[in-house]
Amino acid sequence: MRKSSHIQLASVYLLAGLVMTYASYQVPAYLPGDFVTAMYSSSNVTLTADQEIRLRAFHTREEGFKSYLLNLFRLNWGYSHAFLAPVSDLILEALPWTLLLLGSAHLISMFLGFMAGVEVAWRRGGFLEKIGVGCMTVLEGIPEIGTGVVLLLVFVLYLGWFPASGAETAYAIHTPLEQVGDVAHHLILPLFTLVLSYFPGNFLLTRASMAMVLKEQFIQTARAKGLPPSRIRYAHAARNALLPLVTRFGLRIAFMVTGALVVETIYAYPGLGTLMFNAIAVRDLPLIQGIVLFSSLTILFINLLLEYVYGWLDPRVKDAY
Amino acid sequence: MSSVFFIVILISCAAASAAAFQIREIRIADSSGNWGAPNPYHHYPRGPGYIRMSWVFDTLIWKGRNGYIPAIAQSWSFDADKQAFTFNLNPKAKWHDGRPLISEDVVFTLAYFKKHPYHWISVDKVSRAEAKGLHTVIVYLSKPYAPFLPEIGGTMPVLPKHIWEFVENPEMFNTPQAFIGSGPYRFRDFNKARGTYLYEAFADYYQGPPKADRLIYVRSGKPLISLVTGEVDMAAIQADMAEPLRQNGMIVIKDERGWNRKLMINHRKPPFDSRQFRQALAYAINQKEIIDKAHRGFGTRASYGLLSIDHEMYNPDTPAYPYDTDKAVKIIEFLGYRRSPHGFFSQNGRPLTVELLVSNNIIAGQSVADRDGEVIQKQLEAVGIRVDLVNMEQTTMDTKLKQWKFDLAVSGHGGISGDPRILSEMISSRYGAGSVNSARYDENTELNRLLEEQMREMDPEKRKAIVFKIQELYAWDLPAISLYYPESMTAYAPGKGIEWFYTKGGIGKGIPIAQNKISLIN
Repeated sequence: MRKSSHIQLASVYLLAGLVMTYASYQVPAYLPGDFVTAMYSSSNVTLTADQEIRLRAFHTREEGFKSYLLNLFRLNWGYSHAFLAPVSDLILEALPWTLLLLGSAHLISMFLGFMAGVEVAWRRGGFLEKIGVGCMTVLEGIPEIGTGVVLLLVFVLYLGWFPASGAETAYAIHTPLEQVGDVAHHLILPLFTLVLSYFPGNFLLTRASMAMVLKEQFIQTARAKGLPPSRIRYAHAARNALLPLVTRFGLRIAFMVTGALVVETIYAYPGLGTLMFNAIAVRDLPLIQGIVLFSSLTILFINLLLEYVYGWLDPRVKDAY
Repeated sequence: MSSVFFIVILISCAAASAAAFQIREIRIADSSGNWGAPNPYHHYPRGPGYIRMSWVFDTLIWKGRNGYIPAIAQSWSFDADKQAFTFNLNPKAKWHDGRPLISEDVVFTLAYFKKHPYHWISVDKVSRAEAKGLHTVIVYLSKPYAPFLPEIGGTMPVLPKHIWEFVENPEMFNTPQAFIGSGPYRFRDFNKARGTYLYEAFADYYQGPPKADRLIYVRSGKPLISLVTGEVDMAAIQADMAEPLRQNGMIVIKDERGWNRKLMINHRKPPFDSRQFRQALAYAINQKEIIDKAHRGFGTRASYGLLSIDHEMYNPDTPAYPYDTDKAVKIIEFLGYRRSPHGFFSQNGRPLTVELLVSNNIIAGQSVADRDGEVIQKQLEAVGIRVDLVNMEQTTMDTKLKQWKFDLAVSGHGGISGDPRILSEMISSRYGAGSVNSARYDENTELNRLLEEQMREMDPEKRKAIVFKIQELYAWDLPAISLYYPESMTAYAPGKGIEWFYTKGGIGKGIPIAQNKISLIN
């Protein structure tokens, strides 16, 4: 990639970042209702008109986009009305759990889906492919809420193998090793639910991409050269079938805020999805703005990263610039 | 000598058995998890938020199983001539930092809440408070205020003066000192991402060390499963799970009828501004059918007078509207509506169509999809009122209610088995302007007068007579229609020897949650 292309790319992304920041600031404000209505109007507290006016004045600090932007540069993402804590602290508290759950789910399902897709496509027309495609198509159609609840009933309620909720046993007194084991124990079911949900898509996509690549002339050349089948499969064919999968991975990771909300809810697993859901329920505008902004910037960053990953995976993309 | 030896042995055994019965921890499941940090300015203005604070901050008096019992104040009295309450504080009471709790702290708290309102309570009617020595406080009222004990004495958390006197911005004060109270538990942690709370027993608590060393709240997507698998010791449950849980060895407790689902009516616009039309609605609605179809029969038909039928001031002669579609039709026809061949009413060519808003319902502490709206829609359509049923998110519906942009809406609230102050809050716009559950109905001057009067009447019998009359007038005018009381239940594992209970009239000023701190106090 030439230097001018880098500058051009950076400018485009900077502009997109600015537009997304404005959208993150402005769009949540269009939600009907405000924090005081959400928090107090159907609560055990009955406010008088005066109290309501005072509260609304306290929780409405209209500073304007310019001031919001300046604060962002000072790493001040605002202050949550509901939690009475800095928005950045709340996001950082929830983010590790989201990364752990969604990151591992995507990596595992991508790796398994890729391997299975490559192997099945190689055995095109065989029994394994027919069974695999059939099962995966069915599995792809089952929503996370369905698999999540069934897994919860079977493995928690009837077998009692896993805990029902949370990311760890709250306030348990553990050694560091026991703590790791406890986190892993809590992670398995939500992770398995997500892997079951993501794996079929990755499998079907890889298989379809491989089917196209295997018809290419360079594969026939590789076969004619007498290369071992595993080398043809992975070094020649699979690498070329990887691009759509990387795109899917990037897009999925970009939606990390809402991506695991259903699973987070079923298993009471902490994460950005739950934080966002709660923030919307109480119209905690600074927190909603913060999470939407974080999500937008993540999408932007992942896209930028993919530009370079594509170039690395397929030099033709790099040469296109 | 032998008797002394025997006593020593007895004391040792008692001490040993007390130690043996000390519970390591109690875990309580909750489907939401986040109710704010447990101090007056941080907890959410909802029952679970107040309960989480109540472990840390004690009040002057507290509701036990059979009414008010001593807490920080070991005795109290009322002087009608001076309109003053005198509280004698327990000299053993201490703050979590070891400093003694004295009368100046109570005087300071009242003054602090006047300057920095704690919205859960109102101290407007307190003119001043005076410390007499270290352990006596006299609280003077500016005018008679009947709900003083439930609203202030039994609900107001007492703050440590030595900490809060330097705090100018209580909403932003969140250092560990902001959570120093005098309650049975010290606050240790609130994890906002996980929705968990940790409390540790306060060994120097003036009523003795609490029964459990640690109290933990955990967020659970399915509290019932967490309870059955033994992850937690206690959870609110839906009524139809009571029997299977009992068979499983759990103890299931049931609350009095302190929460009602009700139909909000926009009585400021036609045709709902007509009392007769509202009465026709009441006749057209079959409360029992709603309970049977939407709640599998778990619930009780509500009194039209708002106050719970379990309340000691409930008026059994409150006007009622037994299901009668013929009566409903006749009233609507009397109001000038005519039925079309399709069976729906219209007037001057305009069909009688109403919009019915519904949102999620709260059952066993969990938000569940509403089914009441569908039943009511069918019932109203059966008498000829066409209904557009609109299901929307809670805050969106609340906003519409607040701005009077609705016809009918299904809503609900608790507090109806607590102090009758709830009547003023849920009927009059003077007291309930900020609540979407309040009818905000000021059309009936006699009703308004009585709602004011019952707040001032310090004689319980006289107040009861006023409250009786309020229920009659409210049920006659029907600015909102109470539908039913859902069954509220909690299940807990008996193994740890704790006896949880629902507090009569609700905890504090009426919270229908079975987590009264008395259960964990020796």
